[in-house]
Amino acid sequence: MILFYAMAIVLILSAIFVVTAAKPVYSVVGLLAHFAALAILYFSLSAEFLGVIQIIVYSGAILMLFLFVIALLSSGVAAFSEGPNRLPKIAYPAAGALAVLLGFLVFAAGKFHAAVPAASKAAVPPVGAANAFGSVADFGRALFTVDLLPFEITAFILMVAVIGVILLAGDATPYVPVRKRQRIVDQEMREAVIREGRH
Amino acid sequence: MPHADLLPVAIGNYIGLSLVIFCIGIAGVLLRRNPLIMLMSIELMWNAANLLFLAFSRAWLNNAGHIFAFLVITVAAAEAAIGLAIVVIVFRNAQNVDVDEVALLKG
Amino acid sequence: MTHQMGVTGSYPLILAIWLLPLAGAVIAWAFGPQLKRQAGMVGSAAIGLAFLATLASWGAAMQNAGGHLGAQQPLGSWLPGFDFGLLLDPLSLIWALIITGVGFLIHVYSIGYMWTDKAIARFFAYLNFFVFAMLTLVLSDNFAGLLVGWGLVGLASYFLIGFWFFKPTAVAAARKAFVINVVGDVGIMFGIFLIFWKIGSLSFGDVFANVHALDPWLFWTCLFLFIGAAAKSAQLPLHTWLADAMEGPTPVSALIHAATMVTAGVYLVARCAPLWSASHDAQTLVGTVGCLTALAGAILGVAQWDIKRILAYSTMSQIGYMIMGVGVTAYSAGVAHFFTHAFFKACLFLGSGIIIHELHDEQDIRLMGGMQKRTPVAFYAMGASVLAISGFPFFSGFFSKDQVIYGALEHGYTWMWAVGLLTAGITAYYMFRLFFVTFFGTYRGELPPESVGVPRQLHDTQQEPHGSNEHAPSWLMAAPVAILGVFAVGAGWIMMGTGSPWARFFANSFPHETLPAPSVSELVTSIIAVAMFLIGALIAYTRYGSSTALANAPARLKSETEKLPAILVNLYYFNELIGLLFVKPAIAIGQFFSRTIDPHLIDGAVRELVIASRAVGTFGRSLQTGLLRGYALIVVFGAAAFAVYYALEGAAR
Repeated sequence: MILFYAMAIVLILSAIFVVTAAKPVYSVVGLLAHFAALAILYFSLSAEFLGVIQIIVYSGAILMLFLFVIALLSSGVAAFSEGPNRLPKIAYPAAGALAVLLGFLVFAAGKFHAAVPAASKAAVPPVGAANAFGSVADFGRALFTVDLLPFEITAFILMVAVIGVILLAGDATPYVPVRKRQRIVDQEMREAVIREGRH
Repeated sequence: MPHADLLPVAIGNYIGLSLVIFCIGIAGVLLRRNPLIMLMSIELMWNAANLLFLAFSRAWLNNAGHIFAFLVITVAAAEAAIGLAIVVIVFRNAQNVDVDEVALLKG
Repeated sequence: MTHQMGVTGSYPLILAIWLLPLAGAVIAWAFGPQLKRQAGMVGSAAIGLAFLATLASWGAAMQNAGGHLGAQQPLGSWLPGFDFGLLLDPLSLIWALIITGVGFLIHVYSIGYMWTDKAIARFFAYLNFFVFAMLTLVLSDNFAGLLVGWGLVGLASYFLIGFWFFKPTAVAAARKAFVINVVGDVGIMFGIFLIFWKIGSLSFGDVFANVHALDPWLFWTCLFLFIGAAAKSAQLPLHTWLADAMEGPTPVSALIHAATMVTAGVYLVARCAPLWSASHDAQTLVGTVGCLTALAGAILGVAQWDIKRILAYSTMSQIGYMIMGVGVTAYSAGVAHFFTHAFFKACLFLGSGIIIHELHDEQDIRLMGGMQKRTPVAFYAMGASVLAISGFPFFSGFFSKDQVIYGALEHGYTWMWAVGLLTAGITAYYMFRLFFVTFFGTYRGELPPESVGVPRQLHDTQQEPHGSNEHAPSWLMAAPVAILGVFAVGAGWIMMGTGSPWARFFANSFPHETLPAPSVSELVTSIIAVAMFLIGALIAYTRYGSSTALANAPARLKSETEKLPAILVNLYYFNELIGLLFVKPAIAIGQFFSRTIDPHLIDGAVRELVIASRAVGTFGRSLQTGLLRGYALIVVFGAAAFAVYYALEGAAR
C-alpha cells in the first residue's frame, strides 16, 4: 500500500517532468524514472514477466532509440527551439473544457468499485510457484495457446514497422530493382564505348 | 464484493493514477511542439493504459490483460520506431522539428 | 347478327391487293432518279393491278359459309394472342374497290398533272404508299392492324400535303393535319385499350361476338373510337385541318381529302357496327356530330372563293352526311353515300385541277369565268358531278343522300332529317354558285384582281407551283375525269328501289333491324329533297347564272366579297378557339417550365447542390489545418466523448 502511493507520487512527478522538460534529453531521463517505477508497480501486481519486459523493451530499447535520434539531430541545437504557437484560438477554451472533464473523470474514478467476480482464491497458485498468476510460465502458456493468433499478428506488425523504418529513414536514394540497375550500368557502359570509339 | 486482498490498494486508486498519467500525456501532446517530447508523451499514455490492464487483470485473476499489455508494448515499440523515423526524415528535409511549421497537408 | 369472321383457310390474292401498292412505292422511291416520269406509269400499273386483283376477289369476299363472311389471309401470330391477318368482306371490298379504282384513275391523271414537276417520282412514291396505308387500314382483320394503317395514312397525308415543302403554308398545313390526326390516333388507341382490357382480343370476330363484355364501358369505347374517326374525317370540332390540306397538289386533294382517307372515319364506324348498334348514346352522339358538321360545312362552303376550298368544305359537309348515316345505324346508307361521293367528289377535284392547270395555277373562282369553252371536258364532267352532289333526281348523289336523310328519320331522329334536307338545299346553292361563277360569263383573269375583290397578297400565296408551260398529252387528264363523270351520273342506279343490288350486297354485313314506318314516307322525303335542290339551284342561278347577273359579274363579286359575314370568313373562329383553348395554354405551360421550373427547380437544384458541396468543401478545408496538435485535440475530444458515454452508461446501471 505504501509502495503504491510512493510509486504513484514518483510516476506523476516524473510524468510532469517529461512533459515540461526544456530539452528532449531531460525528458528521456524522466521517462526512465517513470518506467522503472511502473515496473515496480507491475511486480506488485504479480505481473513479473511484464515488469521485466517493461525494463528491457521500454528502458532498454525504446528509450535508447530516443537517445540515438536526439544525438543524431542535436547537431543543430537551434532545431529544438520551439517556434510561435499556431494552434487556433478556439483550441484554448476547448482544451480547458477537456481538462475540467478529465478532472471530473479522475474524481469519479476514485469512487469506482468494480463488481469483481468471486474468483476462487483456492484456484490461484501461491506466489513463487512455477505456474503462479503472472509468472512467465502462466503468461507463456496463454500466449502460445489461446492467444497465438494475436501473437503472430504482433510479429507481423513488428516486421512491417522494421520495413517501414528502413524505407523511411534508411537511404535517401530511391529504391531501384537490381535488374533495372544492371540495365542502367550496361547502358552507361555502351555509351562510354561509343564515346571512346569516336575519339 | 471486491477482492481487496488480491490488490495492494482499491481498484479506484489505479484508475485514478492511470487517468492522471494519461492526462499528463495528453497535455504533453497538445502543449509541446517538439515532436520528440510529443512522442514521449504518447509513450506515457500507452503506459497509463497498460497499468490499468494489469490492475484489472490482477483484480479478475485473468491474464488476458497481460496479453493485451504485451501487445500494447509491441505496438508502442513499432510506433516509436516509425515516429522517430518520420522525425528524422522531416528534420533532414526541413531542418526543423517544430510540428507547427510542418503543415504541408494544410487544405 | 352475323359475325364478321372470315373463313378459315387462306386467300393469298388479298396479299397481292395489299402489297402491290407497297411494291410500287418502293420502286418509285428507290429508282426515282432513273424512272422520272416512268415512275407514274409504274405507280399507276401497281394500283391498276391491285384493282384487278380486288375485282377478282369479289366472289371470295361475298361468300358466306357457316356464318363466316368474306375471305381471310392470316399473317401469322406476331405476339402471343395477337394473330394478324387480312380480311376481305363486302365492307372492305367496297373500300378496296374505291381506293384502287378511283385511286388508279387519279394516278393516271396525276401523270399529266405533275408532268412538269421535278419531284414526280417522289410524288408517286408517296401516292402509292398512301394507297398501301389505306389498304392496310381497311383490309386488317383486327384493331391493331387498323391502327397501324390509321397512323400510316396520317403519315402519308402529311407527306403529300407538304409535298411542296418549299411553301411555308404547305408545311404549316401538313403539320396541322398531322397533329390533329394524332389527336385522333390517341383517341382510337384509348378505345383499343378499353377493348383489350375488357375482351382480351383485338380481332374483329372476337370483339363483335362479345360486345356486351364491354359494359359499362361501351359508350366510352365508342366515344374514343369516334374521336379518331372525327379527326380523320374532319368532323366538328377537329375539322380545321381539311381546308388547309388543300395546299397539297390537286390530285392529292382528290384522292386523300375527298375520296378515300377522310372517309376512314365512316369505315371505322361501319366496321364497328355491332358496337354502335349496342349503344344508343353513341348513336346519338355520332349522328349529332355528323349532322352538325354537314350543316356547318355547307354554310362555310357558301363563303369561300378558292375553288379547292369550296370543294374541301363540301367534302366536310358530305362526310358529315356519311357519319350521320352510320351514326344513326343506317350503315348501308352511309356507306352508299361514301361510294357515290368518291366518284363525284374526285371528279370535281380533278375537273378543278384541269381548270387550275389551264389557268396556270389560278385557284380563285372570282378570276375564272367562261371556262365552259376553254375546258369542255371539265365543264361536262363537273356539271354532272354538281348535279350528283346536289341531289338531282336519278344522279348518283340523289339516291345515297336520300337514303341517309331517310335513314335518320327511320331511326327516330326527326331533327336530323330536317337539318339534312336544309343542308341539301344549301349544298345545291353553293355547288351551283361554284359552277356558274367558274364556267359561265366571260373570263375575268385579265382584270386586275382588286376589281373582283381579290386581295393582292392572298392571290399570290395561293398558287400551285408548276412552272413550265410544257403540257402532257391532254387525254391523261381528260380521260379519268370523263370516266369519273360517267360514274357520278350512274353509280347510284344500283341503289334504286327496295331489294336493289346494293341492299343485297350488304345483306349479311350489318345487323338487321325491323323499324316502325316513320310518319313521312321515303317518297315524300325524296320530293322535299328535290324541292330543296330546286330552291338552292334557283337562288344560285338568279345570283350568278342569269344573264343579268353575268352582265355585271365583276362588280357583283366585289361587293359580295365585301359583304360576307365576318364569322363565315373567319370559319366560325374555330382556329382562334383552338388556339385559345389548346395552343395558348400549351405555350403558357411551356414558358412556365422554361422560365420558372427549369432555371429555378431543375437548374436550381443543380446550382444548390454546387453551393452545398462547395460549402462542405470549404468547411472541410478549414478542418484540414495541417496542424498535428489540432488533429490530436480532435482525437482527444473523440476519446473523451467515448469516456463520458461509458461513464454515464455505467452510472445508469
